Order: sequence, then structure tokens, then C-alpha cells
Amino acid sequence: MKKVWLIGLVFVLVLGLMAVAAVKNPDTLVVATIGDQNTMDPAWCYDTASGEVIWNTMDNLFQYDGESTEKLLPMLATVVPTLDNGLITQAPDGTTYIDVPIRKGVKFHDGTELTPEDVEYCIERAMIFDRSGGPSWMFWEPFSGIKYGGIEDCAKDLAGVDDFSKVPPEILKKVYDEWVDPAVEVKPGNIVEFKLPKPYPPLLQILTHGASWSAIYSKAWAISKGAWDGKATTWQNYHDPERENDPLYDSEMGSGPYILTKWDPGVEVTMEAFDDYWAGAPKIKHAVIKTVEEWGTRRLMLESGDADIVYVPRQYLSQVEGMDGVRIITGLPTLSNAVVFFNSGVTEGSKYVGSGQLDGNGIPLDFFADVNVRKAFCYAFDYQTYIDEAWLGQAIQPTGPIVKGLAYYPENSPVYTYDLAKAEEYFKKAYDGQVWAKGFKMTAVYNSGNDQRKTALEILRDNIESLNPKFHIDVVGVQWSSFLDALVGGQMPVYMLGWLADYPDPHNFVSPYMSSTGTFMGFQGDALVNLAKEKFDPLIEKGITQLAPEDRRATYAELQKLAYDYAIDIFPVQATGVHVERTWVKGWYYNPMRPGTDFYSLSKSED
Amino acid sequence: MIAYIIRRLFLLPIVLIGLSLLIFGMMQLLSPYDRLSTYVRDPAQLKQGPEVLKQLMDKYGLNDPIWVQYGRWLNNVIHGNLGYSESANMEVTKAIMRFLPATAQLALFAAIPVVFGGIWLGMVSAVHHNGLIDHTTRIMALTGWSLPTFVMGLLLLMIFYGWLGWFPSGELSNWAARIVDSPQFVRYTGMNAIDAILNGNLAVLGDTLRHLILPVFTLAYVQWALLLRVMRSSMLETLRQDYITTARAKGVAERVVIKKHARANALLPVITIAGVMVAGLLRGVVITETIFNYHGLGLFAVQAAQQLDFSAIIGFALFTGMLMILTNLIVDLLYAYIDPRVKLG
Repeated sequence: MKKVWLIGLVFVLVLGLMAVAAVKNPDTLVVATIGDQNTMDPAWCYDTASGEVIWNTMDNLFQYDGESTEKLLPMLATVVPTLDNGLITQAPDGTTYIDVPIRKGVKFHDGTELTPEDVEYCIERAMIFDRSGGPSWMFWEPFSGIKYGGIEDCAKDLAGVDDFSKVPPEILKKVYDEWVDPAVEVKPGNIVEFKLPKPYPPLLQILTHGASWSAIYSKAWAISKGAWDGKATTWQNYHDPERENDPLYDSEMGSGPYILTKWDPGVEVTMEAFDDYWAGAPKIKHAVIKTVEEWGTRRLMLESGDADIVYVPRQYLSQVEGMDGVRIITGLPTLSNAVVFFNSGVTEGSKYVGSGQLDGNGIPLDFFADVNVRKAFCYAFDYQTYIDEAWLGQAIQPTGPIVKGLAYYPENSPVYTYDLAKAEEYFKKAYDGQVWAKGFKMTAVYNSGNDQRKTALEILRDNIESLNPKFHIDVVGVQWSSFLDALVGGQMPVYMLGWLADYPDPHNFVSPYMSSTGTFMGFQGDALVNLAKEKFDPLIEKGITQLAPEDRRATYAELQKLAYDYAIDIFPVQATGVHVERTWVKGWYYNPMRPGTDFYSLSKSED
Repeated sequence: MIAYIIRRLFLLPIVLIGLSLLIFGMMQLLSPYDRLSTYVRDPAQLKQGPEVLKQLMDKYGLNDPIWVQYGRWLNNVIHGNLGYSESANMEVTKAIMRFLPATAQLALFAAIPVVFGGIWLGMVSAVHHNGLIDHTTRIMALTGWSLPTFVMGLLLLMIFYGWLGWFPSGELSNWAARIVDSPQFVRYTGMNAIDAILNGNLAVLGDTLRHLILPVFTLAYVQWALLLRVMRSSMLETLRQDYITTARAKGVAERVVIKKHARANALLPVITIAGVMVAGLLRGVVITETIFNYHGLGLFAVQAAQQLDFSAIIGFALFTGMLMILTNLIVDLLYAYIDPRVKLG
């Protein structure tokens, strides 16, 4: 009897080992991750989960050369336009023309052929679609010469009204005729021409694979689904819809290597290989992206081989280290950062400023208008401890708002270091010594659930409180909804947020952090806004309209230095990413602009 | 009895309107910007500055007076539209219909061991009062009731999926999902097991059951403990009644005493609890669904609540409210059926 048990046990073990050693589901690649897709419509998409599907099902005009974020290769275009090859030309008045020859013989998933008219339609549709909080500003900036941030701005300006609903129909048509239509035109010779009032160097990156908003899909299919009909007089009916009313939100007709076969929101996305793909059929036949929120489940899926690639939060990395048949790649530089913001004009009545006076029991509303206070805070932050403790060493300290990995990154720009003596020196200078003499009390805020932000603010609190017994900082976490409420209301004196690149150009980082009309500056009070208007805005405009790389390099170095000189924020960290996959996955490469997995580059085979 | 049922059903819309008013009122305690967070989840969406927030406020009518917002919502409901769920990326009605079959399947499979296992074991424990079986079931009930669901779930998952590889997480394997999604596979109920039977596809049925075993066991083990203990107490009390002693004195076989005389009477309190528990199973599967990556109504509701997804929250509340009312009605009818002394009306 014992022998039977023993043989049975050996049999089970051998079967188990065989199951682990062999490539599981060789024609299917499963990614288990968190997060949920919002849409399949490129004109709406502004999140990486949706972008991952769009990346695999649709193509753009250009693509990055492997891991590079600077070198571009043609994709639906046949060549990348440059000044040297004559496809980028500039008129004496600064008007810039970019000609893009379109590849012939590219098939959409319904078998119809892609034409330059499809490209023109997709870009124009993105411009008229322009949903609130969406990505269309990336087209309006270059095509309006940085005059407008969106189509409503343009229409209101032309009509001379404050309310978009009051813009008369003839002006709406004028908006299309004068601003949208001329931006992208089809020219003889299978060419699409982009017309810019002035140079805008990042435009090519905005049109490159990974930029979901410029992915190309079939015009005929889109119109048949009920999307914009392409007419000048109807665009307002298709502008800024509610998501449920967007006819393209749950389907696709791209020309990418995979066909979307199922999108079960919050559950999974499945895609099948497109055998007629212009660059050759994909090696993986079935691509699956599963939403698995629970880490323990994802770990077991990886271990059992049911998932080939999984998202592993930093704190759980040790659980997969040494796991059989699993490969871990660390130190992948992301184009993102996390920042401690100062608000130089807190709103009256804020509960985060104590008494609202510099009396030892609070801070004045314009506490951070004093550069000495900001500098003291910058010196009081222990950058290395933060990277070691909160990021487990998987991060670096960038030299300012422009992060490492971007072109023109000012490597040698000065950075703040942890120096309590300097912090004390600046606190003593602040408010003519009153800060040091009277002390202060305030609250720093983070959105609860984000422990890294919590740790950053606690480090800041501990170090500052160690300087003077009269200094008191409370650190509180609030739900994202309450955080947003407090942010918009200008109630928080110190808080943390982050930024992820839309396109790999320094403009995409100096604009939100340093422009007086940037995403974040609007929540940082009048003192910093006025500083930005005077010192930063002219340089930001200069940087985005310069064509010569040397000129741009100098401009961005100057901006990075100014961010340091005026200590506008604390820039403590730029994360480095982690990738975890089964060893049977072959062909994976890293590009920070890629929103998720590029199934086309992958295959599965034993070592 | 029919008049009673009709009267109870007439109360349904009134209760639901009251429920919706309550939730609507509570949501209004949050500031418009709090509620805007449903639509703004990332600072990137603020790219156009604070102006974009005003646009979004206008777009979704968050600054409108409460009665205007409620009127708009009620008008939509009357037209069969419960709104759009931002957290589920689909209409609320569609989301409930999408996630209900998965949860219903889980609850259905769990309800069988919960109700019948609980009742049977409770009865057996009472009959063998303070005997070996009673002690064993007491320990089982104690561990079931005190062991947190997530611990139980993770433990089972680690052993039977991680180590043995027998029962994976999720609802279906990839190959089975492809069959289920194919045009040849007809979706009758949305429940994979039942649809597999109706399609005559044993392979898909086997795969579904393989994925169901662990979540069903987790859910059932925790839930049946309460039912077991209630049934046991009720049975013990019944067995002490005079009519049971009389029956025994008359020489009625013990098997008949237990099954015919005692069990039916002991069931009355159990039915109340069982009714509520079955309804509770439908909405109380949150942790089990999360651990086993089983996308059902529980997970949908939690995500909606976390993201202040107003339409989904109110839609889910109405759905569960309706479910509870109907379950209570069924329990009352069952009461009347089992106990002739109970008169409805």
C-alpha cells in the first residue's frame, strides 16, 4: 500500500514539474495588471490602460526606434520629415509646413485600405472632439501657434463672447474653416501636410506611436458608427460628448497588429492577431489583458504560468525575487515625477493653515510667497532617505521639473541636497526672522492610499520639526475626492502630486510646472503665478518655438536653473520602473512612452 | 394571499423612491468638487487649468440645485435609464446585467451547501447533542464564523492554485473564454455553468466548475456556520417540546419524530435567516470576488463606492433594495406555507 502512495506522489510531482517547465499556452500571452480601460476612442483616450489597447490595435504616423524616445522611425508614414530631407519647411513669416508621405497598401481590420484622407479625418476629429480634460490641447497648441488650448477658446475668441454656447453658427463654421481644416490637408502624391503658424518641435512626438490621441482609424467606419461626418457645419454636435454618447468608445477599426475581439470593462481585453498586418503577422496569436486588482492572485497567476507578465508593486518585489521561471528587470527610467508643491496664496478660511497668522499657531496665507521659506523646505528634505525608504531605491532625484531621459535634460543643473544647517539659515531669513522667532503650525496633505507621498511629507515634517520646537507640521491623508476639492479651492499650503509625460519633450514638463497658465501653477497662488509670468513664460515660449537643438538645450537649462533659484517646488523623485515576466517571454524591450505591453514584439519559447 | 402579494408589490416603488431620496440627499452633503472627482481621476485632466473644472461642472450639472438634479435623474429612471457608471465604463443597467449572472452563479452554488448543509448539519448536531458530531460541527462552525473570508480565500488559493495547480482563479480559462465568446455558444442566462449545460458543452462546464470550487467553498464555509448554529438551537428547543415527548411515548420511530415532527417546526426561524442570507450572498461576495478575481456585483459596488460613482451607487442600492423586499416577501409566503397558523393579509 505504501508503495502505491509513493508511486502516486512521484507521479504527481513529475506532472507538476512538467507543467512548470513547459511553456504554458504558447500562442496566448496574458498580462495581469491593475487599472481599467476608459475607452477605445483615440480622441477620448488620455490614460495608459486604454492607450495600451490602442497601441496594439492602431498605428500612428511614426514610431520610436526601440528603446529610444528621441529617434523616430516611419510607421504609417514612409519617411520621418526633417529639415534636412526637405519635408519640413518654414515660410519667412514663421509658418511651418510638415509633409508626411503615407504608406500604401496598409489595411484596416475590415480589409479596406488606409488613405491620407483617414489621417486627415482622425487628426481633425481629435481637434473638434476636444472633450473637457482630454488630450486635444496637444493639437491645439501647435496648430494655433500656442494661441488656443482648445476649440472652445478659439470659438469664444473669434466670436468675442465668454460663453461657448453663445457662439453663433457662422463663427462655428469659421472656426473649422480657418483653424481646423487648414491644420491638416491631403496633398497629391499620397501626402498629408501639417501647417503650423510657428514651429513646434514636439509635434512629431505627438504624432508618434504611444500617443493614443493621434492613432489612425478608418474614416468610413467612424462615420458609419455615428461619429463626426467631417463637415464644417456640424462639428459642434460632436464636440465634448459624454462618454456614453461617444460612438467610438467601445470598438476600433485600426490597422494595428491586433484586432480587438472583446472589451469587458473592468474584467479583460482580448485581441487576436491581424494576419494582414503591413509589417507581418504577429507571433502571438491571442493577446489578453486581465484586470486583477488583488496582488496575491496576480502573484499566483505568475507562479503558475497563467499570466506571462504581471504588474508588481514595489513593496511586493521581494515576493517574486527567486521565483522559478520568472525574470525581473529593474531600474527602468520612467518619464514621470512626484513633486511637493507650495501654495503661495492659500484661500481664506482654509483648515490647513492653523490661525492663518504668523503667530506660532498657524501660517499666513502667503507663507510660501517668501522664497526663503521655500528654500528652507527644499533643504530640509532628505532626498536619499526618501528614495531608499519609500521607493526601495527604485528612483533617482532629478535636477528639476525636467526629468532624466528627456532630450535636453540639464544633467548638471544644481539640485537641493539635505542640509539642515542651510534650512535653518533660510528659516532665519524668512519674514525678517519672524518665522524662526515665532514658529509656525500648518498641515501638509496627501491623497490617502499613496504611502510614498505620505512618507515624503513625514520626512519633511520630522526634519523641519527637529530644527525648532516652535515648528509644527501635521501630515494628513484625505480621499482623492476631498483632495481635489481642497486643491481646486486653493486650501492646501503644501501637498504632493505627480506628472507623467504626454510626449517626450521638456516642454511637456516645464509647461505644467512653470507656466503661469500651466496645470499646477493655477493652484499655487498669485505670488508664484506672477513670478512665472515675469520670469518663466517668455522662456517657455522661446523653448517651444526654437528649431535648433542647441538653442533649445540652452533654454531648458536656464528654466531648470530658475526652478532651482526660485525653489518653486521640491522635486524629490523620478521613479524607475520594474518589469516582471515569465522567462519564456521573448522580445520584451523598454520604452517609457509605451503605455503597457507591445504584444507585437513578443513571442513565447523555452530557453 | 394574492391581495397580500399585490399590496406588498405596490409598496415596492414607494420604498425605492424613499431609498433613492435618502442616497441622493447624502450625496449632496459632498461638495460639487468632491463629486467631480468621479470624472477627474488624474491631474493630467487639469491640463487646461481650473477652467476645465468649470466646464466639467456645467457638463454634468453638478452645480444645479438638488431638486433639478433629482428631477433629471428620476426622469431618466422613468425612461429606463439608470445613468452611466464611470467606474464600470458602461450604463448602470448594463453593468448590473453584466455582473449579476456571475454573482448569481456564485451565490446559487454557494446557497446549496449553505442552506442544505447548514440545515442538515444543524439537525444532526441537535440530535447528537453533546456527542462527537455536535462537537465537530461546533468547531467547524466556530472556525467558519471566526476565520476572516480573505484569510480563508487566500489560504485555499495558495494551496489549491499555487501549490497543487488544481483550481485556478478567475471565471474561465482562456480557451474556455474563447468558446463562450464565440457566436456558436448561445448565452441563455449569462451564468457559465448553466449556459454550458444548455449548450451541451461539457468541457466548458468542467472548466467553470473548476473555477467555482474555491470561491464557492470560501463563501459557503463562512456563511453556513450561522445557519448551522441557529438550526441546532431551534431543533434542540423543538425536541424538548411536549408534543415530541408525546410522539415518542406513543412509540413513533425516532426517525419519524425527527423528520416529520421536529424538523418542520424547527425550520421556522431558519427560513427567516436563510432568506436574508441568500439575498446577502448576492451583495456580500465582495471579498471572495476580489480574491478570486471573480468579477461580479460585489466588486462593481465597491469600485463604484470608492470612486463616488453616483449613478452606480444609487443603481446598485435600488437593485439590492428591490432584492431584499422580494426576498422578504418570499420568506413571508414560505412561512405561511410551512406554518398553517400564520395567516397573511
